[in-house]
Amino acid sequence: MSAVGTPTRRLEGRDKVVGATRYTADLDVGGLLHVQLVLSHLASARIRSIETSAARSVPGVVDVVVAGDLPEQDVAGPDQPLATQRVFYAGQPVAAVIATSEAAAHDGAAAVEVDLEETDAVADAVAAMQDSSPVVLDVQEEADEGDASMHGAAAGNESEPVERPRNVSAVASAKRGDAGAAMAASGVTVKATYSVAAVHHTAMEPHVSTVRPEPGGGLTVWSPTQGPFALRDELAEKLDIPAHKIRVVPMPVGGGFGGKVSLLEGLLALLAIRGNRPLRLVLTRRQVFAFAKGAPAARFEIEIGAKKDGTLTALRAKFSYDNGASAGWHGGISSAFLAGTYRWPAVDITGYEVSTNKTPVDAYRAPGAPQTYFALESAMDELAQKLDIDPIELRLRNAVREGDIDGQGAKWPRVAFIECLEEARNHPLYTAPLGAGEAVGIAAGSWGGARTPSAAGCRVEPDGTLSILIGTPDVSGATTGLAMIAADAFGYPVEKVRIETGETGVAPYGAVAAGSQTTYSLGGAVHEAAVEARRQLLEIATEQLEAAPEDLEIVDGRVAVRGVPERFVEITELVTLSTQFMGTFRPVQASGRSAVQTASPQFTVHIARVKADPETGAFALTGYAAIQDVGRAINPPEVEGQVHGGVAQSVGRALGEQLVYDAEGQLKTGSLLDYEVPTVDQLPGIDVRMIEVPSPVGPLGAKGVGEPPAVPGAAAVANAVSRATGVRVRDLPIDRSRLVIPS
Amino acid sequence: MKPAPFDYDDPRSVDEAIGLLARYGDECKVLAGGQSLVPLMNFRLARPGRLVDINGIESLGQVKVENGRLLLGAMVRHAQVERSNDIAARWPLLHDAIVWVGHSQIRNRGTVGGSVAHADPAAELPCALAALDAKFHVLSRRGPRVLRWDQIFVSEFTTSLAPDELLTAIEVPPQDPSTGVAFVEFARRHGDFALGGAAVSITLARNGTCSDVAVALLSAGPRPVRAEEAERRLKGGQVDEAAIKQASAAAVQGLHPTSDLHGSREYRVKLLQVMTERALTKAVHLATRRAA
Repeated sequence: MSAVGTPTRRLEGRDKVVGATRYTADLDVGGLLHVQLVLSHLASARIRSIETSAARSVPGVVDVVVAGDLPEQDVAGPDQPLATQRVFYAGQPVAAVIATSEAAAHDGAAAVEVDLEETDAVADAVAAMQDSSPVVLDVQEEADEGDASMHGAAAGNESEPVERPRNVSAVASAKRGDAGAAMAASGVTVKATYSVAAVHHTAMEPHVSTVRPEPGGGLTVWSPTQGPFALRDELAEKLDIPAHKIRVVPMPVGGGFGGKVSLLEGLLALLAIRGNRPLRLVLTRRQVFAFAKGAPAARFEIEIGAKKDGTLTALRAKFSYDNGASAGWHGGISSAFLAGTYRWPAVDITGYEVSTNKTPVDAYRAPGAPQTYFALESAMDELAQKLDIDPIELRLRNAVREGDIDGQGAKWPRVAFIECLEEARNHPLYTAPLGAGEAVGIAAGSWGGARTPSAAGCRVEPDGTLSILIGTPDVSGATTGLAMIAADAFGYPVEKVRIETGETGVAPYGAVAAGSQTTYSLGGAVHEAAVEARRQLLEIATEQLEAAPEDLEIVDGRVAVRGVPERFVEITELVTLSTQFMGTFRPVQASGRSAVQTASPQFTVHIARVKADPETGAFALTGYAAIQDVGRAINPPEVEGQVHGGVAQSVGRALGEQLVYDAEGQLKTGSLLDYEVPTVDQLPGIDVRMIEVPSPVGPLGAKGVGEPPAVPGAAAVANAVSRATGVRVRDLPIDRSRLVIPS
Repeated sequence: MKPAPFDYDDPRSVDEAIGLLARYGDECKVLAGGQSLVPLMNFRLARPGRLVDINGIESLGQVKVENGRLLLGAMVRHAQVERSNDIAARWPLLHDAIVWVGHSQIRNRGTVGGSVAHADPAAELPCALAALDAKFHVLSRRGPRVLRWDQIFVSEFTTSLAPDELLTAIEVPPQDPSTGVAFVEFARRHGDFALGGAAVSITLARNGTCSDVAVALLSAGPRPVRAEEAERRLKGGQVDEAAIKQASAAAVQGLHPTSDLHGSREYRVKLLQVMTERALTKAVHLATRRAA
């Protein structure tokens, strides 16, 4: 029986549930010292002085370090491990206290006196683009598209050399046809401004790392990183140490979602080298909000037009991302989604990357997509209402199909947008009658999906267990799926397969666990390694059984001659033969490699039913469905789990998650009391419908599944609330007061 | 997360506790359930030099009924109130209010005395105690005092307790069995601080007129608010839908709840009115059934 497609429990699930998993913060390292950071309390300031003597006299404090104590770093001001002369956001590290206990480090940090000379801050992206605004970044940096491509988004839209407003580091644009003329000739248009608040991953495990200097100038780094090799290479470059001297040990990831590739490790490495002691730093939740990079806020001015029959004519959009004190790279992604989701004859899109005096931003599960699809799918819903057309019907008439132009001017491969919409149209949550105060909303989303060349190793253990060695950590349960792929390829039940994620010194190269690419990138390598291991094993058995390899099969832990079950050899025996002293057979040691050549874009449609309270503005989700093209579900319940989590995160953007800053750049929602992560009673059961249109290139037909479910939820909920209340929601999260008090 | 260093005492008797308070006064804070104080200390928003931990004083943890009055020791946990059948039957408003307090983990640890002494205007218990005309027993080396709700609650997070005084017990008068009660509130998520809420206790005469009523609001001002105008309008009259609507409108007249990122003043007033209306409707429904 095939393991792939058979519901299988997560291999690492039990340990996590019973609390047996050992996370980074649980790790004992001899001679360990503890680090606490002193963060800037102002959003924009010059550093006058940092007084450390009081902190040094706190019992247990070993050292207090400021920027001047560390070797100079060739990075932009906000990215300095410790602020040099200026601070660019409240939360930027300005000093580090090293102590014999975590408690002493906290006490020491509280005793550091930072004297700042406040300078003008700008905390709002629109204000930052005015000529009168203070300049946020010292040097206007070009946006780094490398980050975007890592997440598999369609970046790389041409940037036009247009005149940039102040604090704009990059411009994304797309033009097709004459959007002005097409809009003017449209029978119906919708023009509105949509805004999406900044949010944070709020992974359960805060950012944490332990770094130990090694004799000979090397480093060992224990981190719950999504990308051990990416982290290793980044450290090698920053510290000017050969990459092979840095061992990154990937630890279990207690929630990543794009926020855990690297953050603390560079600073910790510098501090550890300086004092020649192993160091650990665990951020507090408040520090996570203030210092660990979340997802950017965005604002979209959108105009879309259609003929009276619902055929779309044109899209015009101006948008901006509020990147905090960083350059940002989401714009190209947004531009591609805006231009490429529907069959627009004409588009005219300009997007700005804006810097402000707030915490820098980075990737969060499908970076750019939830923001863009909230705006696009809200506008589509408004258009459907104006045209008095069913919102799914409107999308069906205009959805992209294979061969249509995608967001970058290329052609869409076979995609399953239509299949998702058809499934939604017939879903009981969509068709069932509505109760009083109830409405149903839908929204679509898509994701391009990343891919990175990857390798895998494979051997057979003395007890017959098949061990697969990879270099990509498990952030999503992906290793269970990989084990299933290996099991089928080798001819084993999944229980006899184990996946080991090795440290960078020994593991085969593996993709960053991001961009919905783990299974997509590694699946082929694992498959190839397992097939090769089987070949090697059968080769040994051939001599034992005097039969040709093609006549052999693996059954119940044995290699047997097909059709002659009494002629067999135990696999454990084959392992012994190939590993024993004076043995004559070569050990099973296989490797597999893969480099998927093209992306397999994924489409999804969400359905949300809400019931609104007309007096208070409260609303409750009364039903939810997520329909998604997954190519092929390797482990169906795992895919379902991924969708559940993604839905919770995208719906959270509608329900209340937001990083609120005041005009001075102070974070007002810096704890879980004020930052509203959705609670379990706010979420209904989620019906997951998988559409399986196999990828021609993904392993066994699989496509990425992790990011699409995090995309359309906010728009689906907002569309439902708008229809239930008659008040159009154009801002996330949804302001309940606006639903009952006219603005 | 770690609080600033502090000294610590864990007295075993009320006498020992008030001795410590007399000696250290302003320097110290009383630690009861710690559900508000400890997070504030961990955030270093509160930095008491000394904690007087009263968790070890057994006599403060008792629920007693004396002469028909309920006496809650200051260290009685929310969960004790929540699980007491006697309280549910005879002081149902307390039971109805307590289930809105935080989450079960918080109710297991949080105490009635701590909630009162913390004096958060968004807290459920002070609001319910205001509706119930509770009395607050306070002790210091200088002697005992008994305070009404409008004497103990002064402002946001401020009571009239002197630094050397310990809140020892809360006394709730007996309630007419025919009384109908309701406690409703509006929070973003269950367990969040309420943006508005109302506690109502109403007794109807045989002819259906209102013989007694108390309406208390939470998150309506710097301390619990009794909606006296609403009570005045309801007393002696028939309590129909129109009367409830009028009373609810009167209840929020002149209120100035604070605007913050979770809700504007205007929205909070709107919510308070709706909560009052819903609490009155529910309480009247129960009172009508009981009067019949």
